[in-house]
Amino acid sequence: MPDLLPIISDLAWPFALAIAWIAGEFGHRWTGLPRISIYGLVGFLLADTQAGLLPRTDSVSIMLLANIAFGLILFELGYRINLRWLRTNPWLGVTSLVEAGGTFAAVYLVAQRFGMPFISSLLLSSLAMATSPAGVLRVVNEQRSSGQVTERILHLSAFNCVLTVFTFKVVVGLWVFQSTGDVLHALWNSLIVLLVSAAIGGLFGLAVPGLLKKLGNSGRDATVAFAIAVIILVALTHTLKFSPVPAALAFGLMARHRRVALSQAQQNFGALGNLLTVLLFVFMAATLEWPMVMAGAGLALALMAVRFAVKTAGVVAFARVSGITWRKGLLTGMALTPLSAFVILLLEQTRHLGIGLMDELAALAAITLLLEVIGPIVTQWALVLSKEVPDTTET
Amino acid sequence: MPLEPFKTSDALTLGVELELQLVNLSNFDLTDASSDMLHLLRRASLPGNVTPEVTESMIEINTDIHTNHTELLEQLQRIRDTLVRAGDTLNVGVCGGGTHPFQHWPERKIFAKPRFKEVSAIYGYLIKQFTVFGQHIHVGCASGDEALFLLHALNRYVPHFIALSASSPYFQGIDTQFNSARLNSVFAFPLSGRAPFLLRWADFENMYFAKMESTGIVKSMKDFYWDIRPKPEFGTIELRVCDTPLTVERAAALACYLQALCQYLLTQAEAPPTEDDYLVYNYNRFQACRFGLDGSLVHPKTHETISLREDILTTLRKMEPYAEMMAGQPALEHLYRTAHEGSDASYLRQQYVERGSTESMVDAAIHRFRDGCP
Repeated sequence: MPDLLPIISDLAWPFALAIAWIAGEFGHRWTGLPRISIYGLVGFLLADTQAGLLPRTDSVSIMLLANIAFGLILFELGYRINLRWLRTNPWLGVTSLVEAGGTFAAVYLVAQRFGMPFISSLLLSSLAMATSPAGVLRVVNEQRSSGQVTERILHLSAFNCVLTVFTFKVVVGLWVFQSTGDVLHALWNSLIVLLVSAAIGGLFGLAVPGLLKKLGNSGRDATVAFAIAVIILVALTHTLKFSPVPAALAFGLMARHRRVALSQAQQNFGALGNLLTVLLFVFMAATLEWPMVMAGAGLALALMAVRFAVKTAGVVAFARVSGITWRKGLLTGMALTPLSAFVILLLEQTRHLGIGLMDELAALAAITLLLEVIGPIVTQWALVLSKEVPDTTET
Repeated sequence: MPLEPFKTSDALTLGVELELQLVNLSNFDLTDASSDMLHLLRRASLPGNVTPEVTESMIEINTDIHTNHTELLEQLQRIRDTLVRAGDTLNVGVCGGGTHPFQHWPERKIFAKPRFKEVSAIYGYLIKQFTVFGQHIHVGCASGDEALFLLHALNRYVPHFIALSASSPYFQGIDTQFNSARLNSVFAFPLSGRAPFLLRWADFENMYFAKMESTGIVKSMKDFYWDIRPKPEFGTIELRVCDTPLTVERAAALACYLQALCQYLLTQAEAPPTEDDYLVYNYNRFQACRFGLDGSLVHPKTHETISLREDILTTLRKMEPYAEMMAGQPALEHLYRTAHEGSDASYLRQQYVERGSTESMVDAAIHRFRDGCP
């Protein structure tokens, strides 16, 4: 008789995906909640420390798949970002710096007040700046919204993610320096990794459209080419211990701004994107443990309130001068609520450095869980209130 | 509600309306941005006026009333610059063109305004499919009778305006082989086509409009989608067959050509219009839509077949003295060049050949609108 345990463990992920997908479809239909909120909830409930269906997620292959899923989302986000907008409307850049910088400062102060160590406070503050690109993009696509709130949350989310990766790496560099005293090691693990990753992504952004042009792809769907390139890029940066986040984002940005010939690519990478999104959200929530969530709950609620207030205020302050109504400014600020999914991915990546940050940052586990579920609901609500979502009663 | 009396306006004054496309700069598809643009434009001091159109990806601008080409062009250019600036602030591309080459009509959103929701309920998908972009030119008339005379006397020249303004070769992602595919969308409406052949305003009011109104089909002149329709509240006739050109310079030139033609027609230099002129009307209109400047016309009086391009060039020469009176010489020169070099539809097709995608056509249209052409 074959051993049952490995079989069950092999089947865990496929079944978890199926359960999450089914729950997502029915949940979305019955409650109108964003599907990704439900995937996250299912992932958390099925995790090792909760229902125990999913094994502990140290599995390298699942981690890689999650990174690919996230890479596809970041590529798409990068492809939708227009850097020229920063020049034609400088107030957008100001908005971004104020909302992200303000969040960093406010979260740091709160963390210090709760007696958190210096480095942990800095890490927490840098992670709190980011709005989940996955959360925002999935809700925007699911709702088929378009308008200023939509455009702005996509751009602000991309900008604050870049700022997060940057400060996070700097703080990690600082930590390495503090604990080893090795400047080179510190620099390597922060800025160099960041720059090299972005450069690799940029190279892809030049090479792939070039290749497509060679193929004479006029009018042909470029989705598969871009998807394969993202998978290679993520695998490459993952293996070489660089960061897939800036790489995929830079790839998308470069592909957009250096496009040799414009070509159509399927939004979301079609069915492939949908499948990997289920996996990504289940995976991320499954890394969270209930005892930690409980332990960090108090601080988490305080931080969430501060983060929400600062982000909203930061965007509202520059709403009119940047060309939108106060109301749309308010909704844009609120829609930035989802906490970035890659918080978990970033932390997972730092494990090889021997930083068990996840264990120190119990509050982060709680915030991530809450904002992974609640965040997309707030975003969806803001988009509906801004009337940027098609009226389903229309004929 | 009976038809309001025809308001007298200064003869041959001009007003131009342009329906423009709002484009997403990431994928070059249409984007639902008119509410945001309107909000911003109300804060900027826009010359003329700006109004929403039936779907959220369109915006309509109109000029004040003008008497000559110089003023009209100058105002159109200022409106364009304001629009482009607003677009820059909001990351929205603004461009002309009679159709968007690849937009998917089911994705359009109806602008939240009762009249638009109402027509959407009546016409269903036709309205979303009607996300097409036209130029409307108003010419002032001294009386209702004069308006009806000009409306019918112009019938033979309608193909000129279709061919010169044509800028909608692509629709829903494919080359339609038409130069103005937009007019095919207009033709789907039951009240489109041409106005009934009545030359006296009193007859039009009592014998036609009152009867139509009593059938319950129409409530106001707005319900007619005719190629040329009288607009009693403005005291004008409105030519509606033009695609929105890629540049405001061409829009101004077309308006001044119409102004010169009306002045010429009012001199009674031609045989008066008759119902039989319309025997060839739809055929000529089709030729202009399908083949553009390369099409041919059947002359409504002599029934001989003539080249549309030749006919335009001859007419332009004939209009010179009339245009001169209203400083319209540059307008005619612009149209000479258009007739020789090809319309915006040819320009767009050329972009497709050179750059290889419908997205690049939109990109080119955005640049052309912004930079203008002499």
